[in-house]
Order: sequence, then C-alpha cells, then structure tokens
Amino acid sequence: MKFKAFLTQDGVNLLDKRFLPALDKHGRICHVYLTPDHAMFLHNLLGGDGVQSVAQFNKDVLFRDYRISSQNAGRIAFAVDVALLHRALRSALTIQAQARDDTAAIQIKLVKKLAAGSRDPAPFLTFETKGRVSAVVQDVPISKPLPRDDVQQLQSALEAAQDLPQTLVQVQDLAQLQSLVDRLRNVGDLLTVAITQYGDLHLQVSTSLITVGSEFRRLRVLGVRADPPIGDRTLSAPTRTEMAIQKGEGASVQVSLKHLAKSLQCHLAKPDCAFYGIAPQGACLTVIFQFFIPGTRLTDKSISFYCRLPVLDPGSGP
Amino acid sequence: MSSYAGMGGDAPDLVCQLDCAQGMVDALSSVRWKRHQDAVVEISEHGVVLIVEESGCLQAKVYLKRELFLVYEYTAEGRPRFGLSLGLFVDCLNTFSTPGHAPVIEIRYPGPDMQLLLKTVDSPDACIYAEIRTRIPDTISWDYNFQPTGNVHATFTVRSAVLKEAVDDLEWPGSSIEIVLQPDPPSVILRGEGHGDLQVEFPYYANTELLIAFQCDHRVSYRYKYKFLRATTSHIPNSILKDNRGSKVTIGRGGMLKIQHLVSVKRAGGQHSHGDTSGGIQQLSRIAYIEFFVKPEEDENPVNDT
Repeated sequence: MKFKAFLTQDGVNLLDKRFLPALDKHGRICHVYLTPDHAMFLHNLLGGDGVQSVAQFNKDVLFRDYRISSQNAGRIAFAVDVALLHRALRSALTIQAQARDDTAAIQIKLVKKLAAGSRDPAPFLTFETKGRVSAVVQDVPISKPLPRDDVQQLQSALEAAQDLPQTLVQVQDLAQLQSLVDRLRNVGDLLTVAITQYGDLHLQVSTSLITVGSEFRRLRVLGVRADPPIGDRTLSAPTRTEMAIQKGEGASVQVSLKHLAKSLQCHLAKPDCAFYGIAPQGACLTVIFQFFIPGTRLTDKSISFYCRLPVLDPGSGP
Repeated sequence: MSSYAGMGGDAPDLVCQLDCAQGMVDALSSVRWKRHQDAVVEISEHGVVLIVEESGCLQAKVYLKRELFLVYEYTAEGRPRFGLSLGLFVDCLNTFSTPGHAPVIEIRYPGPDMQLLLKTVDSPDACIYAEIRTRIPDTISWDYNFQPTGNVHATFTVRSAVLKEAVDDLEWPGSSIEIVLQPDPPSVILRGEGHGDLQVEFPYYANTELLIAFQCDHRVSYRYKYKFLRATTSHIPNSILKDNRGSKVTIGRGGMLKIQHLVSVKRAGGQHSHGDTSGGIQQLSRIAYIEFFVKPEEDENPVNDT
C-alpha cells in the first residue's frame, strides 16, 4: 500500500481556505478515501446517525505526481483528525512562505513509523516541505488503513448517495438561512422541511406552545418542476405546502435542526450555489453545493460537495 | 370574559403591523428577568400592555402605544387579555428580525385556536410566520393605585446607565437595599447591608448632570429586596444606555417603588416607507414605556415617612 503526491497550489488553497474549515465544523474525525482518480473527505459514511458529508476532488485538482497503489484496486482509506491535518498544512504553508522559494513544494505521503515511546510502528500522513536550503517533515497520525470490507462499504455508501432527489431548489443566501436556523434553534429541535416542484422551500419548527415557520418561494428548480396552482398566493404557507404534498408535487421530511445548522457550515467552503432536495422515499434531505470554474459561471465538475441529513421521521412524500 | 365574545366571529380583536421588531424585542427583554416567564397581554384601543410579575412583590408593565404600530385595527369590546410565555414571544420576534433588514410584521389575535399569529408581510417570495399558543390569563394579583407619600411624589430622575451601575454595585452587600430620599441636603442614597456595607449617594447639587430631576419634601426611606431591584435594571437594553436616557424613580404611599424607563422602538436604519411625512415627530413618539413596581420589605419597626 503506497501513496505519495505533491499538493498543487490550488489544492493547498482549496483545502486551507475553504474545505478544511468547513469539514472541521462537521466533525473532528473524517475519513480520507483515495482512489486512482479521486481524493475524498467523508463524514459519517460508515454508520453513525450524523450528517453525512462527501467532498470529492478530481485527483488533479489537489495533487500532481499522484502515485497510489494497494491490493484493493488502488484504493486506500483511513481516518484522520481534520484539525491536525489543517494544522500540518498551515505550518507547511508557513515554511513554504519563509523559504521564499517557488520550488518549495509540499509532498504528502503515507508512511509507517515508530512513534516515540511506542514499540509498534504506526501509520502517519507525512507532510514534507522541501526548499533549497531546508526541509521540514511533519507527521499527522492517522488510523490504520481501513480493511477491504470497510472500504467496500464506503464505496457502496457513496454509490447509494448518487440517488439524486427528483426536485432540487436553489437557496441563494446561505448566510440568511443560517441566521434563520440559528434563531429557530431557540424555539425547538425538530424541523420539518418541505420542498415543492413550484420552487418553494418551507421550514417549520413546532412545539406544543409555538409554531414558527419560514417559506422561500419561487426558487430556481432543477429536475422535476410544476406550475403553482392559480390563486395560491392568498393561502398560508402551511396550507400551500399541504396541498402540494397531497397533489404529489411536494415532499416533506423531519430533520434535526442541529443537523441542518451543521450542514450550513459548509458555506465556509464558499460554494457558488447550494441546492436542497428530498431524496426518493424521503430517505434523507440532500444538500448539494456547486463550485464554478473561477471566472466563469460554469460548474466545476472536478469538485463535488454534498451532505445528506438523516431523516428523523419519513413524513410524507410522493 | 368579554374578550372571548368575538370567538365565533370572523374579525379578529386586533390586527396590527410593526416595522421595528428589534425595538420591540428590546422593550420586552427589559422585563424578562428569567428565561421562562409568563406574561399577561392586555389589548385596548390605546395599544398593547404586557404585564409580568413575580412573587406578588415585583410587577413590570410594558406599554406599547398604538402610535408605535404602522397599522392598528382594534375591533374588540372591553379589553381582551391573554396569557403567553414571554420568552417564546421574544425568541419568536427575534426570529423575525434579520440583521440589516427590518421586516414588517403583522400581529393578529386571536387565531382560530386563540393563538397569537405573527407573519411578515413585506415580501411575497419569502415569509416567516409564527403561531403562539395563548392561555387564559391568571388574574393580576395586584393592580396598584400609585399615590404620593405626602403632598408631592418623592421622585428623582437619573441616567439609566448610572442607575444600572449603582444597582450592579450593590450586588456585593446584596440581600436588602435601603433607598433614602431626603430634602436636606437634597440627595438620594442607596444603601446595602449584608455581607458588608455599601452606600451610593447621588447629591442633587454636586453635579447637575447626575440627577436630572429631584423632588422630595420630606425624608422617605424604604428597604427593598436586592433581587427585585436588580430585575428592574439588569435587562435594560443597550439602546437606552446609548440614547443616554433617564430613568424615573418614585416612592409612593406605603413605600411602593416605581421605576420607569423609556425604550426607543425606532425602526433600525432608513426612513419610513409608509407615507410617513412627519418623520421626526413620528420618531420622537416612538417610545415604549416600561414601568416596574417593587413592594418594600416588611419591616417590624418602620421609620419610613418622617
């Protein structure tokens, strides 16, 4: 099992400024999953009832001279502490800056070393920053590489997550949504999310004493869409949503407000668009983030980032 | 109860709109001295009054005059009253006010199930709404007929920030605080005796900035529980302190203490968009009145009014 590669400058920026801060908010420990074509950072894909998140990069976005080999079809997965990974990357960057040397590149590789005070060698992800005059090596402790079965399970979970919601609505202002969700957390823990084919997103928290809801209408729709019934403007948001669900033109699920707040932390990765949808059979609430190729409005297909929020109550769906 | 007469009818007792959720939150928060607190709301043609009380010794009222609302349609007869959780109401109003945007909120009472209904009405494509369960109100245990101790009220007005600071300082001796107003030399003394002694004195002539007004024709002295006194100033919103407003403190007959604050409920930033031509005057009158009443401690040997 071997892995080594040089981080590209874009890769360093993406990880340092955008993805690692977002991933850290999702959970301290994540799985790094490397395949011959992709590098992925995964949260909660192996069981657990938290928010699943997948950040997948085409290998060339993050790395150059990418070398990987394993007996499991060139696939390697391990768990790492996101904060430690970020710290190592930051100090590698500092060393690179101090070297004032454009050739100073950051190489990462998988190694087994004898840690101080230990008899058995342990696995590390090593950051090696070589300048003309100095070289600094940092070891980030990682878990033992996952056994073949677990890697297969990760792969299956990833494939299952490909099941896209029929209808996705685009939320423009994630910061606004986040501030709303933060304030809704004072009211209750359980959130009902409804999405209709007319482009309506309806959030509602309800307890025995209070119901607070918010509706965003006429959002951009991807996938299956329908025209809103005529005259529905005069109806209240809950009534409108209820009617859409009855007509099979909307779906709703219940999720934890805490989970939604967590998924909104993804905005730290500065996505250009965010889409919300309910997976078939109300299996989960899916949030898909899109990134544009810098300077264009074209989706960068080499990066994909999405979250799946577990559903606490399947609610009603089409 | 007369308030529930309109239950079967279509027209709600009250439909009002406000564009200053933050000011309203400030005003209501100033009487929220604990997280879970019940309040009684009374609506009338003059506006809305919210009343909270504790242990029969402390009562607070927030007066929201009808002029504070963009629209105020009152159709009930009598003065409908209902109880609700103050904490939920404040948290809920907070949900409506996003930073940099003061939405127009419509408040309606009662809903089909006697709820208090709130919703934003200024944007067709994004709305927030809420339904708060109300309950039949407890009777207000005391409605005090506030009367002067002598011929005139013993009263003083001091900057709210100064009053708050003095009360905060008195936390150290704690327990029981004596408030003394004396005409000669004209001054106000707050004295705490507990773990130690601490005395805060506001001499009227020493600094004209300190006591904005002072009126007292004979010495008055009463003791109040510190925790009640603290409740009257601990949640004064920052806007009062920033506006450099004064708080008026009056001791009435029997030692009843009345503390009044003025909270501005101006719309956050920007001008009115609802045909308000007299902007300045309108803004001046956009004040919520907060009143606290604190009963004195019962003393075995009162030597209060001399």
